[in-house]
Amino acid sequence: MRNRMVISVALLALGALSGVAAYERAVPRADWREIAWPFPRDGWPAGRAFRCNSAACGGEVDVYVRPKIGFCNCDSGVADDDEVDRVADLDLMSERFVPREPGHVIRVADMQGRIRGYDLNMSDGSRRTAVGIAVSRRCDLMVAVAQGRGAAGEVRRAALEYLASPDMTRWMNAAMDGR
Amino acid sequence: MLCYRTGSQRRLVLNNGVESMSDRVKLAVCLSISYFACAGVVYAQSQVIGAPPEASNMKLVGASDLQARSAYQPTVHHQGDRWIAYIGHHGGTDEIPMPANPLTERAEPNGTSIVDVTDPAKPKYLTHIPGQEGKYEGGGAQMVRVCDGKGLPKGDPNAVYMLRTFGGEGHEIWNVATPEKPVLVSRITGGLKDTHKNWWECDTGIAFLVSGAADWRTRRMTQVYDLSDPANPRKIRDFGLPGQEPGSTGAVPTELHGPISTGPDGNRVYFGYGTNKGGFIQIVDREKLLKGPAEPTAENLRLPEVSRLAMSSFNGAHTTFPMLKMPIAEFAKDKDGKSRDIMMVVDEAILNECAEPRQMVWFADVTVENRPMMISSYTVPEASGNFCQRGGRFGSHSSNESMAPVYYKKMVFIAFFNAGVRALDIRDPYHPVEVGYFIPSITKATDKRCVTVDGKERCKVAIQTNNVETDERGYVYIVDRANTGLHILELTGPARAVAGLP
Repeated sequence: MRNRMVISVALLALGALSGVAAYERAVPRADWREIAWPFPRDGWPAGRAFRCNSAACGGEVDVYVRPKIGFCNCDSGVADDDEVDRVADLDLMSERFVPREPGHVIRVADMQGRIRGYDLNMSDGSRRTAVGIAVSRRCDLMVAVAQGRGAAGEVRRAALEYLASPDMTRWMNAAMDGR
Repeated sequence: MLCYRTGSQRRLVLNNGVESMSDRVKLAVCLSISYFACAGVVYAQSQVIGAPPEASNMKLVGASDLQARSAYQPTVHHQGDRWIAYIGHHGGTDEIPMPANPLTERAEPNGTSIVDVTDPAKPKYLTHIPGQEGKYEGGGAQMVRVCDGKGLPKGDPNAVYMLRTFGGEGHEIWNVATPEKPVLVSRITGGLKDTHKNWWECDTGIAFLVSGAADWRTRRMTQVYDLSDPANPRKIRDFGLPGQEPGSTGAVPTELHGPISTGPDGNRVYFGYGTNKGGFIQIVDREKLLKGPAEPTAENLRLPEVSRLAMSSFNGAHTTFPMLKMPIAEFAKDKDGKSRDIMMVVDEAILNECAEPRQMVWFADVTVENRPMMISSYTVPEASGNFCQRGGRFGSHSSNESMAPVYYKKMVFIAFFNAGVRALDIRDPYHPVEVGYFIPSITKATDKRCVTVDGKERCKVAIQTNNVETDERGYVYIVDRANTGLHILELTGPARAVAGLP
């Protein structure tokens, strides 16, 4: 009787582990790694750049994020889509970008702003999808732009999930605090 | 000096292991003295209430507290036998959104101060016209220009017209012939996103209004108006850079800060874009701008442009002040190029306590219009006053814009925030030289300026000289962004000789 119970518990444990393993295999983890900031120096200090190559991100997705201190209307924040067009660093990748649709309000790292999707025409003639994000705290901005070759929805989902991670949230808040 | 030891000297002492107790005591005493001496220097550089102003070759003639309102642009106008200063204000502060006006005994949103400066030693505050409700850049009436009605083609010859912004949402024209009792003449509104530093030609009435038309992709662009009849403003066209117009896509060029026109004679308008980043100067053919096709297509916006001078991403163009046909003494014996068309470009410092690249003053030679070139620059030496540690902004903001002969092409005055106003000898614009300065004392009204350090706000109080203007008599008017008011100055000593003043 006792042996049967031990065997049953062991089988249950094995089953559970197998299930977890199967789940892990079915839902692969996004594998983000930091890469060097790839853009030449401009009016703001360089930010941080990250790349995800795994299927969980829907293919290769790059995210570039940096604070722009003192670059926001202190009263109205990120007021409209035009402001996202202006500030979200899309022009670092290509000056030729076209919005896919009207943007909408979003919160990132407990800061409110807007997100908008774009099609990018790259200098080599290729096309990419991108999302521009601009959120603010008082007179300061945090901007992020993500680009990839995959579907726009996948690029957006992957980027937002990564920006919502505890490490990134912590870093963004610290950067806005001047730390 | 006796205490000074280099690192290698100190290492030698310690390695020999012969540093006696008395040596250590001496070292401690010396270090303590050094610490307190250094602290004293820093303290001395911080402004304290009651301390005298800091000055060289400039002296205070008179002052007005401007009801402790944050000041932007002063314009000084000679009307009849009086000299009147019109001063635009930012919105109120978090602590005092609407300062009290002692003349009306009411709290009023910051707008325009009108001050009689006929006797500069005793400026008399005449009236305050309230502006748009709102704090800091979100309210007030920052900008002011003044034209005589008799000079405008269709103006009332008995009127004196003041053009001002009304917060971010519009522009207004007032008749200030009796400056104690201004009368509203007309209003230009239309869902603007923002307004800023306008230019008004007093002989033609053409105005270049810095606005943010609702459907444009930029916060600030130009709306050209015919204000020759101030009671009936007539819009001529919208203007901006290709990529800013409605319906365009892709990168949005840097927003406008303000233009200065040379009128029909010079036929040029010099536009400054960028404020403190990614700036450039755009030289525009005025006639093509006024008479060209008005539809805001990329092609039509390109048509009047003569050339552009791109600046570093580190700097922007706040003021573009033209000084055309300047004789250059060094080039006097050259067969060509003896005189040069010079443009002074003033950046605007935005961030407190030096948290950005230095914003300063640049001189460009625009004689060859399609190849404009920067030729020189000027900044206040930071170490001369430990300005990065004083608090508030340090860097340039604006220059005088009066073209009256007393100073034009000889001297300019630069508002440099916590470094006060700076007087430059620019007779050789290839080598501008500072010949005087004045940093006003702070008062109880001077507002704090804060930065975030390790997530906490740290505040300091310092003068924030925001703008400067001159009058035909040679007086220099500076106003403070941190609520310290108006200071009227005059040159002294060798600086007067530069301007040819007795």
